[in-house]
Amino acid sequence: MKESGVGLAFIITILLAAVLQLVPVSGFLLLLKPNFLLLIVIGWIIFRPSQWGIGFAACTGLLADLIFRAPIGLHILLFSTVGAIPLYLSGWLVYFSLIHRCLFVFILIIFAEIMRNLLLLMWAIPADYSYILTIALASAIVWPAIDRLLLKINRKR
Amino acid sequence: MFRRLLIVVAISSGLMAVHSYTAWFNPIEKFFDNALLPAHWVATVPARLNEWGQLILSDRSDLEVENTRLKQESLIHRGQIQRMADLAAENLRLRLLLNATELLMDSVLVTEVIGVSPSRTSHTLFINRGANDNVYVGQPILDAEGLMGQVISVFDNHSVALLITDSTHAIPVQILRNGVRSIAEGTSNYDRLRLRFVSPTADIREGDQLVSSGLGGRFPAGYPIGSVLNIEHKAGASFIEVDVAPAAKIDRSKHLLLVFTSEDGSEIGRSQ
Repeated sequence: MKESGVGLAFIITILLAAVLQLVPVSGFLLLLKPNFLLLIVIGWIIFRPSQWGIGFAACTGLLADLIFRAPIGLHILLFSTVGAIPLYLSGWLVYFSLIHRCLFVFILIIFAEIMRNLLLLMWAIPADYSYILTIALASAIVWPAIDRLLLKINRKR
Repeated sequence: MFRRLLIVVAISSGLMAVHSYTAWFNPIEKFFDNALLPAHWVATVPARLNEWGQLILSDRSDLEVENTRLKQESLIHRGQIQRMADLAAENLRLRLLLNATELLMDSVLVTEVIGVSPSRTSHTLFINRGANDNVYVGQPILDAEGLMGQVISVFDNHSVALLITDSTHAIPVQILRNGVRSIAEGTSNYDRLRLRFVSPTADIREGDQLVSSGLGGRFPAGYPIGSVLNIEHKAGASFIEVDVAPAAKIDRSKHLLLVFTSEDGSEIGRSQ
């Protein structure tokens, strides 16, 4: 895929993640809704570390702050810190098998959710750790689709 | 990489501090609430398609059964309203005898939820009524079961409402049984509110019904808030912890009522 095509695919994936994030769910589905924006950030950083790094994670974090109506800066900090891990490991991660990347995402989301809850405590928003495992599991289940999509986009270069 | 990360951490910490102590970002957030409306519309397409599909696929006999049930319910509610009208008239007479000034009469406007906040911690809704329908900031919102929240941002054709379960929301309440007053705060959990600063000696029991007390003037008095679910006495604590189950179906209701309150009752009967 040409660079302009990759750019277009990048914008479409971000918009798609934002829309998926806004899909209303209730009841137990709330416990299973992954953070699509964070997953897309992780994906692009794994497959295009030279192009998309901390700055990209921070900008998407700002978008997440506005979508989630969270204190501005919270998701910038969260996304850039979480994004730094796959960026640091990107040299190895692309050679991992899909299963191993799913496991990596599972652990990363647990870390991200714990960090998010700790940050929210600064605004006296009560921490709820009960859903962390279910969200991490849902993210790991959704990950293969994101992985395959981004792999396909980046292989066509 | 680490230097860049440190810079971003410093900037984001600064932004969080600014957000906490100032209102500088409010215009940006308000602008984004408006800009996000098309995305909410797209995000709710599956739900609307599902509704439409159910309507198309539903059997005629099912619709007739439902129609009959709704007619019966309507009849029962009309009967109850007649009794309520009698009580309201009596209440009005007693208030006049007491020289009470707040002769509040409420009217309502039906609205529909067109989007919800995707965050588990920020409980807000987008509704399809705005300044063109005379919606105002602070206006209470109800569903069929109880009080849902209040409007926090108004645009031309839509508004944003903060739900009573949001952790930044608090509402003055009283126990229906004995009139004991308290404040119900959101917990970021859709099925839980918490009463603050309740004395261990307060007459409060599990199952007690809570209604809005009307104190503060923001919410009209008498609307159902929820029922006491659990009372916890912690050793050494000055106050007891009281959990409340909201009466409204906070994360399920699709059609809501905007309450218009006027002191002279001129707007009564305004309903759509």
